[in-house]
Amino acid sequence: MSATVETIREAVSRTREARERVQQHRTTDAVIAVLAQAAKNWLAPNSPWRKQAAEYAPRHTGFSEAMVQEIIDLTFGAINYESLGELLDRELGNRRVLDEFCLRGRVQSRAIPPRLLVHFLAGNVPMPGIVSICCGLLLRTANLVKVSPRDPVFPSLFIESVREVDAELADCAASTDWSRGDLALTQAALEDADGVIAYGDDHTISALRQLAGQQVRFLGYGHKLSFGVVAKEAMTEENLPHLAQAAAFDASVYDQLGCLSPHVYYVEERGQLGPRKFAAALADAMAAYQARIPHGQLSVEEAAQVTKFRTGYEFRAASDKRFVVWNSPESNDWTVIYDDSPSFIPSCLNRTIFVKPTDGYKRVLDAIQKIASNVSTVGVAPMHERAVGFAGDLARMGVHRVCAIGQMQRPSLSWHHDGRPNLADLVSWTDLG
Amino acid sequence: MDQTALNLQKQILALISRGVAQATTEAEFDQSARDVFAFQYERCAVYRAYCDRRKQTPQSVAHWKEIPAAPTSAFKDFVLTCFPVEQAVAEFHTSGTTREQAGKHFLATLELYHAAISLNFKAHLLPDFARLPMMVLTPSPEEAPYSSLSHMMGAVMEEFGADDSAYYVEDGQLHLEKLVRDLCEAQWAHQPVFLLGTAFAFVHLFDHCVKEKLEFEMAEGSRAMETGGFKGRSRELSKADLYVLFERLLGIPTTGIVNEYGMTELSTQFYDATLRVGKRTDWKAVPPWARALVIDPNTGREAADNERGLIRILDVANLWSMMCVQTEDLGIAQQNDSGVVEFEVLGRAAGAEVRGCSLNAENIVVE
Repeated sequence: MSATVETIREAVSRTREARERVQQHRTTDAVIAVLAQAAKNWLAPNSPWRKQAAEYAPRHTGFSEAMVQEIIDLTFGAINYESLGELLDRELGNRRVLDEFCLRGRVQSRAIPPRLLVHFLAGNVPMPGIVSICCGLLLRTANLVKVSPRDPVFPSLFIESVREVDAELADCAASTDWSRGDLALTQAALEDADGVIAYGDDHTISALRQLAGQQVRFLGYGHKLSFGVVAKEAMTEENLPHLAQAAAFDASVYDQLGCLSPHVYYVEERGQLGPRKFAAALADAMAAYQARIPHGQLSVEEAAQVTKFRTGYEFRAASDKRFVVWNSPESNDWTVIYDDSPSFIPSCLNRTIFVKPTDGYKRVLDAIQKIASNVSTVGVAPMHERAVGFAGDLARMGVHRVCAIGQMQRPSLSWHHDGRPNLADLVSWTDLG
Repeated sequence: MDQTALNLQKQILALISRGVAQATTEAEFDQSARDVFAFQYERCAVYRAYCDRRKQTPQSVAHWKEIPAAPTSAFKDFVLTCFPVEQAVAEFHTSGTTREQAGKHFLATLELYHAAISLNFKAHLLPDFARLPMMVLTPSPEEAPYSSLSHMMGAVMEEFGADDSAYYVEDGQLHLEKLVRDLCEAQWAHQPVFLLGTAFAFVHLFDHCVKEKLEFEMAEGSRAMETGGFKGRSRELSKADLYVLFERLLGIPTTGIVNEYGMTELSTQFYDATLRVGKRTDWKAVPPWARALVIDPNTGREAADNERGLIRILDVANLWSMMCVQTEDLGIAQQNDSGVVEFEVLGRAAGAEVRGCSLNAENIVVE
C-alpha cells in the first residue's frame, strides 16, 4: 500500500506516542537486550524471519535466495549485545548518558535524542538500513522509515522481529514507502522531523538536505566505491588460496553492488608469486563462490552493461597480452579482468573485478588520486606495519576505512560510516553543574 | 587489392545491386555471410584471435548466427581491417566524448559502401522517385571528412538531391537564419522539401521556431529523415514529442518522417518503412544483404521474438572491416509478414538503474 499524507502523519503520531511510553519504561540497556535478541532470532537456520526474507527479498533486491541467506548472516551476525553496547559507549562515552546525567569530565551531562528521526533508505543492501533503525531505537526516539523500493522487505521484517520481543519498542518505528519524487509526501514526513538519516546518490542527498532545513540534524550517506591492495608479502604459494577466497568473498557479496565492494585489486609485483597468479586464483575462487552462492537475476539493462564491458575486454585480451580475462562460461555470473595498466578504472560491477599490478603503495596512491574523495573502504593484505603507514596516507587523502581483505564487507557496528559517528551527530547535550 | 578480395567484393556487389525488394533466402545469405566470415577470419589477425579464443572459426561455425561479433569498443582499441590500412580510401570516426578514444572504420574501396547507401536510401526515403531540395542539417563531407553521416549526406545529395540542396551546418554552427529563410521561400513557392539531420539539430530548429513564433506549412510531399540520439547536445525529447513538433512547426506529418539507425562502424543504414508503406511504423527494415539479431545479454543467445536484448548486425557490405558487429543498443526483433526479421531500437545499454549503493562505471567520471 502506498503512503498518503494522512498515513504518514498517522504513522508519525503513533511512533511519537510509543516513544513517550518507551522513554519512561525502558532503559537503554533494556533496549540493547531487545535488539540483540531480535537479531539473534534471525540467525537460527529455521528462523521464521529468515524464511520470510528468503521468500520475498529475492524478487525485490535481485539477489539469489542463497545470497539473501548470506546477507542475513552478515547483517544480523554483526548485531549483538556487545556490539550495540560498544557502539553507544564508543560514541557517547557511556551508554547510560541516554538515561540519566552522568559525569563526563568535571560536568554531568545527559544526551538528548531527536524527537522524530526520519530514515530515507536506498538500494538493495539491507545492512545500513537495519543499523539505522537500530540507532533510532537505541536512542528511543520516534522513527519513520521510508524503505527503498529495492528492499522493502528487510526493514519491515526487522521491525516485526523487534515487535516479537518487545511490541512497545517496535511501535517506535514505522516503515512505509512512497516515491521520492512525491514532494508532498516527503514534506509531510519531514514536517516534525528533527533528525534525518538519508542514503542515496549525491543528488538525492543534497535535495533531501535542502528540504529538511537548517534546524534538522542530518546524516547523509552518498554512493561510494572501494578497492583492495595486496602487498608482495602476501603473495606466497601458501597464502594465495586463502587470500583469493577472501578477496572473492569481498567482491561477490551483494553481487558487488555495495559501497564496500571492491572494483579493483592492486597486486604488488616482485612477490614470490606475481599479480597474474593472483588473478587466476581469484577467478577460481569467484567460480567457487558462484557455485555456492549464485549471482542474482540481472535486468536486461544490467546484463547488457556487463556484456558490453566483458566482451570489450575479451576482444582485447585475445590479441593484446597486457590483458587476460577469466569469466564464467555461458553467462554473466562473474568476470576477472587482469589489466597491466595501473590506472583506476571503475567496474560495471555485478561481480566484475579488475586485477592490476602495482609497484607498491606509493603507486596506488597516485592511481587513485582523482577518486579518493569517493572511496569508502580499502582492503589490504597483509595488515602489516607497512600497510598501517599506507592507511595513514589514505586517511590524509580522505579514505575513511582500511581493513583486511576478507573483512571489507564486515564493518564493525561502530565504524565511522563515511568518516562520521552514527549516533553522536544526532544527539544534543544537557549539562548539569 | 588481390583477386580473391575483389572477387568477393564483386559477389557482394551483385547481391546488393538486386535492390531492397527481393529478399535473400536463408541459404543465400548464409553462404555470403560465411564467405565473408572466412575472408575476415583469414585477413584480420585481431579478429581471428578473438574467434579462436571463442572457438568459433570458419571450420566450426555452421550457421551465420554463430559468427562471432566484434564489439563496437574494438573499433576504438584496434585497427579492424581486412586489408593493409595504409591503402584505405576513407576512414570514419565515431564522435564520442573527448576523453574517450574514437572508434575508427577504414575502407579499402567505396563501392560496397555507396551501393548500400544508395539503394536502401532510395527505397525508404524516395519510394516516389521525387527529386527534392535536400536541406541537410549536418556539416558537408568536405567540412567533416571523418563523419560517416556527412559522407552519406554527400552521397545521397549528389545522387538524389535537387540543385538547390544545401548543408546548414558550418564551423560547427547550425545556420538557423538561412534555414528559416530557405524554408520560407520553399513554402511560398509550394516547393516540397526534404530535411535531413540529427534529432538534436531538429530540436535546435524547433526551439528557434518556438522562440521566433514561426510555424511553417511545408508543401505536400515534404519529408524528413532524422537520426541519432542527443548525447547532451540539446535538450532531450522523446521521439513522439519530436514528431509532434515536425507536424506543428513544419507541417510534416508523422507519415512523412523516417528514422535512420546508422553507425560509423557499419556500411548499411537501417530505416523504418513509414514512407515506403505510407503508414507510421517504428520497425527498422533490414535490407537483403544484412541481418539483425537481438541477443539476450543474460544468456548470450538470440532473444525470443519481441524480447529485449542487444542489437547485433551482420552487414556483408562491411567486407573490408567487420561484418558482424555487436552494438551497445537495446532493441527487439520480430519476423514481419513476409518472414523477414525487422527490429526496433529502444536506446543505449547505458544508464541502468543503480540497484545497490556503489558508484559504477556508468556514474563515476575518472579523469
